[in-house]
Amino acid sequence: MSTTPPYHDTEALQARLALRLTAGLSERAASLPRDVSERLRVGREQAIARARHSRVAVPMLALAGSARTLPEGLVPWWQRMAAVLPLLVLVVGLLAINQWTEREQVLAAAEIDTVLLADDLPPAAYTDPGFAEFLKMAQP
Amino acid sequence: MASDKELSDFLKSVEKRAFKRTVYAVRGDDAALDIVQDAMIRLSTKYADRPAAELPLLFQRILSNATMDWFRRQKVRNAVVQNLSDFEAGDDHESFDLLETVQALEDTLGTESAFDAVSRSEILHAIDAAVGALPARQREAFLLRYWEEFDVAETAAVMGCSEGSVKTHCSRAVFALAAALRAKGITP
Repeated sequence: MSTTPPYHDTEALQARLALRLTAGLSERAASLPRDVSERLRVGREQAIARARHSRVAVPMLALAGSARTLPEGLVPWWQRMAAVLPLLVLVVGLLAINQWTEREQVLAAAEIDTVLLADDLPPAAYTDPGFAEFLKMAQP
Repeated sequence: MASDKELSDFLKSVEKRAFKRTVYAVRGDDAALDIVQDAMIRLSTKYADRPAAELPLLFQRILSNATMDWFRRQKVRNAVVQNLSDFEAGDDHESFDLLETVQALEDTLGTESAFDAVSRSEILHAIDAAVGALPARQREAFLLRYWEEFDVAETAAVMGCSEGSVKTHCSRAVFALAAALRAKGITP
């Protein structure tokens, strides 16, 4: 009597044998030498550290270079604002400095004018050559 | 995106099998450890943003590529691309051979009552040696399909071949392993 099973049984037998064999491989792999296990552990920990580093580095690069590298439509509005913000701060700062300087100059001129006008001596006296000579002679 | 814990758990679950697979290919512990470490680092630096479910397939591809890179560096690539016909068995296997081998393995390995530490260790060693002696493509297909538990399509994707080739490689590998074990006297 033939014991040859039909085709689908052969496939099932193959799978059954394969699973027994790989179970044996797993059992053998579980008892690797200690130094091999340690090197695998170190390698795994290094890989995890690299993954952590790359996860931190990628968002920073994205913030710094997204405006250049991404198409316009893909850049979030707040990132575009973040890129323009330093320029806005610089322009506003320069305008403020300009305003402040002009105001200082106006105040200084007004103070001089006030002193000259409030003095007993008329301003025209300072352009008189004779008065200038008098001032020189008056100095010790 | 896979978290650090998911990545670590995945690597922990796969590292020993990856090491053994690579040892079979390169025939050296040091080289295999370097390749596995390289593959783990490549996975974690380039694909850390992928979902955890994609990691197994990605890792096996990376490991295969890293192994091929090693062979290229060693300039012995021809050792990998062996002529399969030298090792292939014919298609006229007697299926009851498989059944006998399955029964022999299950009798020895599958039941605690028949447990014999010495013979068990010898059988595990014989299985290890037989897998190591398989042609490279058969071994890769067998290990990916049955040890990594990939389906035929995934195995074909990792190996870069058709699904039909995977089935053929797997079938031939199983028959070759059964024959090798029978030759070592592992019979009921």
